[in-house]
Amino acid sequence: MEDRMLFILLPLIVANIALAIWGSGYRHLYPAGLLAYFPAILFALLGVAFIVIFGLYLKEEQDEFQRAVWVQSLLWGIGATLTVITFWGSLAEFELAKDLKLTFVFPLFMLITCIARLVLMLRYR
Amino acid sequence: MFCSSTSPAVCRLTNRVWGTVVLTVLFAVISGLGIRFGHLRGIAAYLVAVLPALPIIAVIVAFGIFLEEEKDEFQRNLLVQCLLGGIGGTLAATTVWGYLEAFVHAPHLPLMWIYPIFWLFVSVSYPVVRLRYR
Repeated sequence: MEDRMLFILLPLIVANIALAIWGSGYRHLYPAGLLAYFPAILFALLGVAFIVIFGLYLKEEQDEFQRAVWVQSLLWGIGATLTVITFWGSLAEFELAKDLKLTFVFPLFMLITCIARLVLMLRYR
Repeated sequence: MFCSSTSPAVCRLTNRVWGTVVLTVLFAVISGLGIRFGHLRGIAAYLVAVLPALPIIAVIVAFGIFLEEEKDEFQRNLLVQCLLGGIGGTLAATTVWGYLEAFVHAPHLPLMWIYPIFWLFVSVSYPVVRLRYR
């Protein structure tokens, strides 16, 4: 897992966050037609690739403990991300907060999952 | 109350979820009316605005409690796989849509839709996961 994490997953996370930030400013260039769809789908594929690679890892991991810690971290990630998004969405619905861009949902989930994993690893030390 | 399952954990989960459904409708009506006609400002407005989110979060907590309470390893494993399938689908959908919003000016999807989209993907994952263990 370490190799895959270092050479595939980490660059994908960094690319995803960088593109999310860059993409939020790109709309002002008003790309049209294929020029607009192509980068949108290409960058989205990075995120989808990450999900697929991680799914395969969970399937392949032989170490029950490692898998259990990852699954618990992911469950915490799901719960906390949906909580934050729902609170924020409620505020945005009543125009009490700015609407969050959808591209930030993935990095937010990853951030929370990584924090949960760190906490769980400390717990099981 | 609304449960036909033999597992007490499933029954507790069902009752909790039904309770939150009632609260979601009630709080949504209160918030809508409060913001529209109450002319609320400041902290009061924020508190009323997040009211409908509370039962939704209670559902997430109820599922967390269920995962702790459920004795049947297989059922627990099924649910975990469905939840992971749900988040995978949701993240894929929000990422694709998010970039389409940024680059192609696709209509904006409000954040409140992410929660129902998640459960939609969980429901889609369920028969797929079950088929695998047939």
